[in-house]
Amino acid sequence: MIITLDSCKDLNDNELVIRSLENLDYFSCLFLRYEPELLRYIQRISGIDTEESQDILQESFIKIWRNLNEFDKSLKLSSWIYRIVHNETVSFIRKKKSFGKDNILNVELYRNILREDDEPVDDKEERINNTVGVLDHLPFKYKEVLILKFLERKSYEEISDILKIPEGTVAIRINRAKKVFRKLAEKS
Amino acid sequence: MDNSTKLIEKIKEQQVKPISRWRFTFKNSVFWLIFIFCVLFGALAFSVILFSIQQVDFSIIGHIYHSWKEFVLAMIPLFWVISLVVLLVIAIFSIKNSKKGYKFTSPALIGFGTALSMLAGTVFFITGGGKWLENTFATHVTQYESIQDRKSEVWSMPENGTLSGIILSAGDETFELEDFKGKTWLVNYSDAEMASSVELMDGEMIKMTGMMTSDKTFEADKIRPWGGHQRRYHGGMNNK
Repeated sequence: MIITLDSCKDLNDNELVIRSLENLDYFSCLFLRYEPELLRYIQRISGIDTEESQDILQESFIKIWRNLNEFDKSLKLSSWIYRIVHNETVSFIRKKKSFGKDNILNVELYRNILREDDEPVDDKEERINNTVGVLDHLPFKYKEVLILKFLERKSYEEISDILKIPEGTVAIRINRAKKVFRKLAEKS
Repeated sequence: MDNSTKLIEKIKEQQVKPISRWRFTFKNSVFWLIFIFCVLFGALAFSVILFSIQQVDFSIIGHIYHSWKEFVLAMIPLFWVISLVVLLVIAIFSIKNSKKGYKFTSPALIGFGTALSMLAGTVFFITGGGKWLENTFATHVTQYESIQDRKSEVWSMPENGTLSGIILSAGDETFELEDFKGKTWLVNYSDAEMASSVELMDGEMIKMTGMMTSDKTFEADKIRPWGGHQRRYHGGMNNK
């Protein structure tokens, strides 16, 4: 049976999980629903190319399938999926022992941080566009929260569920990460 | 072949099956059981600590030691304090690994676990759980140095001004005392300050501070019942 994205567009995430457990083909819908944003997330956090990101995503979804019964309906499915993809990406980076570089991210991130802090972006446009390599100099624990908050637009609760850390810790970490990022960006 | 079809093919080819729900439930329950078990045993350890504190007569022992630090180190039931800490660490580790454990900060979990153990420990202590556990260990674990053993050591140093034991016979100004090592002493208590709960009669277990005047004589300056404030003990060490 071929299940297209169209045929499951009326199903919410939880219904899709139940259907998938009954019929594996529905699992492809889940994959298709999250594929673009997760691929983008893997690339943002690791800086690796599309082909390797695809491999990580495939491996992550095999893990998601194996652990599908563990999914806790009190969580958002997206947070749970992000958690698995995040962990898979981190272990890939650890094996590879290197991050890719993506300077476009720095520009986008800096702009979003300034907007969040209600600071005018136009005045600093030149500085923003010249922000290079700041993320590469940040500790990974800062980089991951900044990406989740300012690029993936996740809430504190979602970040807490993805990284498995308390919400208070998320808030503190984001605040510190923002300060370090801005300091480095202003120097660069 | 698109990526979703590739994924489904891979799952089928590798025959990957979802792990059953009960295994996850079981794993989570184990973490919670370890937490409950550790908090309860931590509570028992805390009740023994309370019991040991109750056994110390702070009002008169303080002057024997050069400092409070030295005194605390001598009297602290290290075994139970270490047990309590280890059990709390295991309890916090297990709850952190449970499904929703990551939502709590470590200080919150430490505070919660400690408060729970202290609360339940106080209840155990009031209901006699601490004394029972201490006695059970003292009876069945040979390497274990009981609180009473430690207490009798502290109170059996006549050269340092402490003496304890059972009264054999009492006169107007002196009484005969057999210490816990079986040695007989003649104690002069004419100038001693005596707790109202002490009755100088045969078989009474007491402890005292004072000064050793010779190999077999002691001059008491403060006398208390062996059991601490208002707690009289009569007979042999089995009654402790």
